[in-house]
Amino acid sequence: MPCERRPMRYGHSEGHTDVCFDEEGKWIVTCGSDGDVRIWDGLDDDDPKSINVGEKAYALALHRGRLVTAASNNTVQIHTFPDGDPDGILTRFTTNATHVAINSSGSRVAAGSGDFLVKVVEVSDSSKQKTLRGHEAPVLSVALDPKDEFLASSSCDGSVAVWRIDEQARVTSWNVLQKSSDVINSKSLCRLAWQPSGKLLAVPVGLAVQLYERDSWSHVSSLSDDFITKVVNVVIWSPCGKLLAAGSVGGNLAVWDVEAKLCVERQKHEKGYTVCGMAWHPSGVQIAYTDTEGCLGLLDGVCVSSASAQKSLKAPDTKAAKDYDALFDEEDDGLLDEEASESHSPVKKNADAEGDDEDYDMIPTTARPRNRGSFLDDDENSLDTGSVNVDRFSENNFGGSAEPATAPVKSRPAYDGPVPTPRQKAFQPSSTPAHLMHRFMVWNSVGIVRGYNDEHDNAIDVEFHDTAIHHAMHLSNSLNHTMVDLSQEALLLACEGTEELSSKLQCSHFSTWDTCKEWTVDLPKGEDVCAVCLGQGWAAAATSALLVRLFSIGGVQREMFSLPGPVVCMVGHGEQLLIAYHRGTGFDGEQCLGVQLLQFGRRRRQVIHGEPLPLSVKSYLAWMGFTAEGTPCFVDSEGVVRLLNRSLGNAWTPVCHTRENCKSKSDHYWVVGVHESPQQLRCIPCKGSRFPPTLPRPAVAILPFKLPYCHTATEKGQLEEQYWRSVLFHNHYSFLSSSGYEIDEEAQNQASKEQQELLMKMFALACKMEREFRCMELAEMMTQSVVTLAIRYATSSRRMALAQRLGQLALEKANQLQGEVQEQEDDDDEENYGSAKQNSRRSRPSNARAEEEYEEEVEHEEQMETEEPAENRRSLLNPFNKGSRSPERPSPKPVNKEDRVNPFKVSGPGKSSAAPSGQPRVANVLDTMTPSSRKPGALPNPLSKQNKSPVLKPLVPRPKSKTQATLLQMNAPKLSSKKSEKEATVEKLRPVEVPPMPPAQDNCENRKPKTGFQLWLEENRKNILANSPDLEETDVIKEAMGCFRQLSAEDRLRWTERAKGDAAEPKKRKREEEEETKEEDKSEEHENEEASAKKKKPLDTSAKLSAFAFNKS
Amino acid sequence: MDPSEVEFLAEKETVKIIPNFSLDKVYLIGGDLGPFNPGLPVSVPVWLALNLKQRQKCRIVPPEWMDADKLEEIRELERKEDTFTPIPSPHYMELTKLLLNHAADNIPKADEIRTLVKDIWDTRIAKLRLSADSFITQQEAHAKLDNLTLMEINTTRTFLLDSLKYMYKLRSNLQPGSGKSQDY
Repeated sequence: MPCERRPMRYGHSEGHTDVCFDEEGKWIVTCGSDGDVRIWDGLDDDDPKSINVGEKAYALALHRGRLVTAASNNTVQIHTFPDGDPDGILTRFTTNATHVAINSSGSRVAAGSGDFLVKVVEVSDSSKQKTLRGHEAPVLSVALDPKDEFLASSSCDGSVAVWRIDEQARVTSWNVLQKSSDVINSKSLCRLAWQPSGKLLAVPVGLAVQLYERDSWSHVSSLSDDFITKVVNVVIWSPCGKLLAAGSVGGNLAVWDVEAKLCVERQKHEKGYTVCGMAWHPSGVQIAYTDTEGCLGLLDGVCVSSASAQKSLKAPDTKAAKDYDALFDEEDDGLLDEEASESHSPVKKNADAEGDDEDYDMIPTTARPRNRGSFLDDDENSLDTGSVNVDRFSENNFGGSAEPATAPVKSRPAYDGPVPTPRQKAFQPSSTPAHLMHRFMVWNSVGIVRGYNDEHDNAIDVEFHDTAIHHAMHLSNSLNHTMVDLSQEALLLACEGTEELSSKLQCSHFSTWDTCKEWTVDLPKGEDVCAVCLGQGWAAAATSALLVRLFSIGGVQREMFSLPGPVVCMVGHGEQLLIAYHRGTGFDGEQCLGVQLLQFGRRRRQVIHGEPLPLSVKSYLAWMGFTAEGTPCFVDSEGVVRLLNRSLGNAWTPVCHTRENCKSKSDHYWVVGVHESPQQLRCIPCKGSRFPPTLPRPAVAILPFKLPYCHTATEKGQLEEQYWRSVLFHNHYSFLSSSGYEIDEEAQNQASKEQQELLMKMFALACKMEREFRCMELAEMMTQSVVTLAIRYATSSRRMALAQRLGQLALEKANQLQGEVQEQEDDDDEENYGSAKQNSRRSRPSNARAEEEYEEEVEHEEQMETEEPAENRRSLLNPFNKGSRSPERPSPKPVNKEDRVNPFKVSGPGKSSAAPSGQPRVANVLDTMTPSSRKPGALPNPLSKQNKSPVLKPLVPRPKSKTQATLLQMNAPKLSSKKSEKEATVEKLRPVEVPPMPPAQDNCENRKPKTGFQLWLEENRKNILANSPDLEETDVIKEAMGCFRQLSAEDRLRWTERAKGDAAEPKKRKREEEEETKEEDKSEEHENEEASAKKKKPLDTSAKLSAFAFNKS
Repeated sequence: MDPSEVEFLAEKETVKIIPNFSLDKVYLIGGDLGPFNPGLPVSVPVWLALNLKQRQKCRIVPPEWMDADKLEEIRELERKEDTFTPIPSPHYMELTKLLLNHAADNIPKADEIRTLVKDIWDTRIAKLRLSADSFITQQEAHAKLDNLTLMEINTTRTFLLDSLKYMYKLRSNLQPGSGKSQDY
């Protein structure tokens, strides 16, 4: 049965260390290469007493207030203990002593040194020295016989010698060790040990420990185990002399029962460092060990199994018995009180997990060795309560008395199948373990809450990142709150119940406008809070009764519901609540977690119905939360960050592996927040631990996201990763707009543009690699307008077959689009909603432009570029979107679109308002698809031409050189368009920042693009309508366009001129004006162009299209 | 040049701060700053960092080199070498002074750092004096000094140039007269 391996703690600087206990076992004493001797009051002592004994300390021995150390100044000196005053020098060598030993009465000290000598000195009179000469190399270790007769020493010359002290003569020696030139080169420290009775001498030889018998000096037996894979460094005997412990170079620790020659304990150093010092606690329960990195560790409960042998020392025996009793009582309680057991058992199990899983970050709060119960506990889980009692009882009997020798075998029960994993304890995300005296209780995007629990103070400090929310707070924590959550509105605290007090939930609602900020709720007796979270306007608490209780932020009790299993973690964001809980028992290190995502607000529903949470292999949940944009996200103990992919049926996609960014194996990143735009993973780098200390104040670092795609070293892989990352991280737009939040449409457009750009790059790459089928696949993901660009590219690189196929694809896409639009128009009921939806999805710039889109071909193109991607992408790339959209339709959205500045609304004087966004698209599609079906005269629309007969027609007549030129010229126009885009962005931002401005602003913005055609249309609309009254709005415009084109060049110029005069009103800002003139210039230019040379058109169009940059090379 | 002018130049160096307010990007002639997110480190010029610090709008993250251990290493190296060693920041003295005067509470071991930087400074100035001395006594025409910071050059420039000028004058007056014997 395994003993409990307590976490290592830092003791000395790197280098050789040694350790021992004082006689009572009260203190652990260590020395290290920093020259200090530290006196620890148990392993948890945070402030050990230090005594400086020299530059370096090589070894130490302790007896009754005398501390003997071997220091680097070649002396063996005495200090008083525990005061640490120097008490004289015992002896000197010509080089430093390597090991010292003191006999059981404390009268003699033996020391071995690098100058081949071993000296035995009387402590009372240091002039009485006996020198043992004979080793031919530095002495590794010395050991004094408990009967004071012999001395054993090992040396680098490969020999282990036994000396008769009085005669200063060698009695015997064995050449069993490997030779080396110096102690530091020696494979093993070869620390010898005499059995406390003096009967046996243990010598570590290679991977085994050899035992030699006193007097006969014959090799009696050797102890070895498969577990020891590297050379044994240190051996020690238990105080009772029954057990022998060994520590090896690779950090393996093993304990043997010497009589049975049975390995009863196997432990591995948590970091695999070389063990160079070991000491057995006088009571025999603990083994302290130190490593070459200066760390101190402790094995607890070691001798308990030997106590079960019921032969040796009384003390450990009774102690162990007590342990069993304690365990029993508790578990019986648990059985009687089902609720209590529910709340206790996960905790307990976690405690047990520590030993096995190296999860030292979740150290149990109880120091008492209770590992004995680990197997039993697990058993309890799988068996029904009725049988458990009997079962455990018999098991205990078995372990306790029936067969002492095989007691250790219990750790490996007969059952060989998968072992259930202890369930993970409930936790608050971004909090450090509760047992720490100074801990982070929460660190999120709002602020930091720290808890202090030391002798001076039990308090909670709240600090806000943004002091505008609230000033920092300091609360006294008299109720011993352990769970905290913080939001922009409130601070929620919760404590577990004690025997007298029930579990409490306390909320400090600091954003309230009345004077009562605090409210508390007592939970029913026996029900404990396990996890709490805050959302917008609500608070939730998950309890040990498997309930989730909801409260309003003001303290009104709201809904409550049951959870299918004990909660692990719960987080809130806006109106969403995400809960992770245990669905069942995991096996072999796996956790079996389920997740629920609920949505409150106007439309309450459960989005994720308790589906399994996909953790990495053998890991547990480490962090869970929402991105700032509201997408659920979690991190497991392997450091893999997964994000909910709403467009893929709520699957989880890994987006980052934080451990890949760590320099060392023991480093971790402690996640505090995730942002989707900009893509940031905010976390705190922790050196050598899983969580940061409160002091020094840790700094937040930002990690980039990287989806684990294949071949990310190649350009193709990179582009693919970028593309899908972009798609994934912009899913939140559709979610936000569907749940009625305002979204940054500019950014959304930017994103979809970026995606199309990436697609185009991939397309170009595939083209270059002559993968035409792949090209087609990529083209299918593109929007129609980008497909036309792709067609160009294909043609220019002489891939006619591909271009033809692409042409068909473009046609299909256009048809699809048209079909969609018609569908929308057919459905009268849905029209309003649909348009609202599109409104919300469409970017403001495109809205503004929607006005003029009938006028200029070029503007058509621009429209296509910006608007179509948004529309098209949605339908093509996110097939799930439509599904999720449809059920929402019946309920009118609470969209705050009234508040939203809608330039379209303000400016559409003559336009129908029925389907403001549907129409332009119809016009578009009709234009492109059936340009001349009604009006053969109105054909000169380059775009329509281009799209109608998708590829070849416009291309065949065009000379090749021109196409090339187009491609080459792409950079210049791109620059200018970028520039204007940027300006537009700036302008766009302004209305958002300054609410009262927008209407005026928008007017300007909308009036600005009024060009010749529009003016002409306004005047001539009536005529057209009179001519053909049955026309629909779109057709009117088409008709009008045709007519307008038929006008003479001069006429058109005149209209444009007029438009210019119209627009040249005094403007508030110069920049606007500039842009306007630019815009006008452009339009004029187009007029002219149109009038003069149609041939130039394609070139110009392509320049527009070239906003999609792609690497031609 | 005035030391305050050198300090002014040093204020252009960037330093990381953790703001406790949120603000969009600030567009300035010298470049864009921000965006400022509460709790998230952002690089800003020292002048802004100090201004924000004085208004208690941020915490300053000390530059990487402003660490007692690293400075100690530098000090040892500086003492060991006869020449000037490369210094982690071209404005180490000014930055130390500015940051320690205004944001000592954000810098661990502030006093230690102050002493260490002063030590480094003293060592370097001593070297500078020594080399100026040997430059003059040996009547060299030119000398090359690497790794000097602006502040260090500044402390010695006026005096050195003036004294060289005077010496030149004295020497040139003496030259036509008689031999070296009358020199001193």
